[in-house]
Amino acid sequence: MRIHYDWRLARVVDDEGNIVDELEWDGPITPTNLSKRLKIIQGGRNLPEVSTLSERFPDAIIDEMGALSDPDWPEIGDLERVFQKATLELAKMGVADSSGDLDRRLDMLVSAAQELRSSWTTSEARCVEWSGLFITEANLDSQRNDIPVAISSSRTISEASEKLGVNPPKHLPSDLEWSSMFSHANTVTRSSEILDQIENAIREIANMHAPSLSALLGPISAAKLISLAGGRERLARMPSGSLQVLGAHAAMSAHRKGAPPPKHGAVLFSMPQVSRSPRWVRGKIARYLAGKASIAVRVDHFEGERWDESKIEEINSEIEAIKDKFPRPPKRRV
Amino acid sequence: MRRLRISSPGLRRGGYDLPKSKPICWGVRKEGRTLWTRNAVKGKSVRGERRKRDGRIEWRRWDPTKSKVAAALLRTSLEPSSILPSPGSTCLYLGASSGGTVSHIHDFVCGADNHHGGQIVAVEISPRMSRDLISLSEYRPGMVPVLGDARKSRVIAPFIRSKADWIHQDLSIADQAETFVKMAMNFLIPGGVGLLSLKAASERSSEGDDKARFHNAEIILEDSELSLLERIELRGLEEQHVLFVCELSLCGDN
Repeated sequence: MRIHYDWRLARVVDDEGNIVDELEWDGPITPTNLSKRLKIIQGGRNLPEVSTLSERFPDAIIDEMGALSDPDWPEIGDLERVFQKATLELAKMGVADSSGDLDRRLDMLVSAAQELRSSWTTSEARCVEWSGLFITEANLDSQRNDIPVAISSSRTISEASEKLGVNPPKHLPSDLEWSSMFSHANTVTRSSEILDQIENAIREIANMHAPSLSALLGPISAAKLISLAGGRERLARMPSGSLQVLGAHAAMSAHRKGAPPPKHGAVLFSMPQVSRSPRWVRGKIARYLAGKASIAVRVDHFEGERWDESKIEEINSEIEAIKDKFPRPPKRRV
Repeated sequence: MRRLRISSPGLRRGGYDLPKSKPICWGVRKEGRTLWTRNAVKGKSVRGERRKRDGRIEWRRWDPTKSKVAAALLRTSLEPSSILPSPGSTCLYLGASSGGTVSHIHDFVCGADNHHGGQIVAVEISPRMSRDLISLSEYRPGMVPVLGDARKSRVIAPFIRSKADWIHQDLSIADQAETFVKMAMNFLIPGGVGLLSLKAASERSSEGDDKARFHNAEIILEDSELSLLERIELRGLEEQHVLFVCELSLCGDN
């Protein structure tokens, strides 16, 4: 015996195809009610009618395909329009739900930060070069960070050079040129403010979404890993070897063509434990850290107990131990 | 201004008669190397494609470089109408994206205001793409948008009115052929046609190069209960893609 069902009707059918029992949904047929019922089926739960029939006939199997395998299923008839409206409502609800998805929100923030950072580096370099052309005495290295601020807070270029503590320029820019320079410097300082803002938001959401991973790698790196993997769940299901090389796309595709495997991806390399270690232990530390990060994200995703400070310290001392174990570079093979 | 530009190519070609065009089936025409479908929503283009009037009928251009089904229609050595669903049939489209191809299928399966009584269930997993799909469905009765994983039968079963006469799968996932066989066995009616657009880049890199990946998929299809009718290379219209035309034979176990 099988139970066939759709949103309006549930039926118990015996092996010869005879209808043994039948229950029809008697609720008011509105698109909203209907979409709720469709959502129940889609989510893998049983409609009340199906549950009742299943209680009446405990050995009847509930058909996974609903009513599709039933050749005598009644036609939908005039309800087609309501059904169509309900499917639209359901799909819209699904789209609306996607804003509750922290993965997507984190991904937007990480991508926005990345794009803004790359445009900021270009503009900042141009701003420094531009000002340096006029203000020849300024030190473009030690005063680098002060230059955009000085330009964007001054009314003339002489005022800016005064703020930087050097003599005014020999040749002055024209009025229009100066105002361009001023606005340009303004976007540079503004961009760095926005970047700070975005990164604070990333910290907040990453700490919420992946607390253990954020504690281990820092929220920004944790967010980058999640965004690269395409979501927390995907990161949690990833082998730690894949996590280790996230962000090393080019090196991985070279590896597939025969080059040696990358030791770590961009995200893990940005960890001081990896990048500040001697070259010959970086791979070992990256492998160890990736293993731990992979456990951390699983703890976060599968609702385990959140890692505390002592756990992180334990991991860091383990990393120190790896370093101590290999104080000298390996001998070169001849 | 915009209207004028869109309607002019039709006028230039002689306006009311289309001497060089050949009907493929109801609502689909081939004119030289371009395809046109009979627009179910007059005066509206889905993605800015050309429209032209022919008396009271409006035709909408079906671009073979943007739609794999259209590309396959141009390339197939079978009777072109045999790889398309007929008006009024039930269709399942897995991986509908923003609905470009689906809208053309809708043009001739459902027609204006669904006077053919067809149904197209369009499944898409991305909320971003579904947005466009939903707004398209709002003025195209018969089109059912489903936001969900196209690999899960349970997600689709409540929406489709009966087994499908025609299935097209266009997913960017690994194991496309296995998924296709599973879904076709679940949803295709005996005698129904299934198209699989296989994207080589989505398969695992461990499976070898593009050629090997297409070959693997072909073997999976041949070993299944589906009969493989044709393998259509889409190179030139859609890179790294092959479209397989399959049929579920009438004497199946159903």
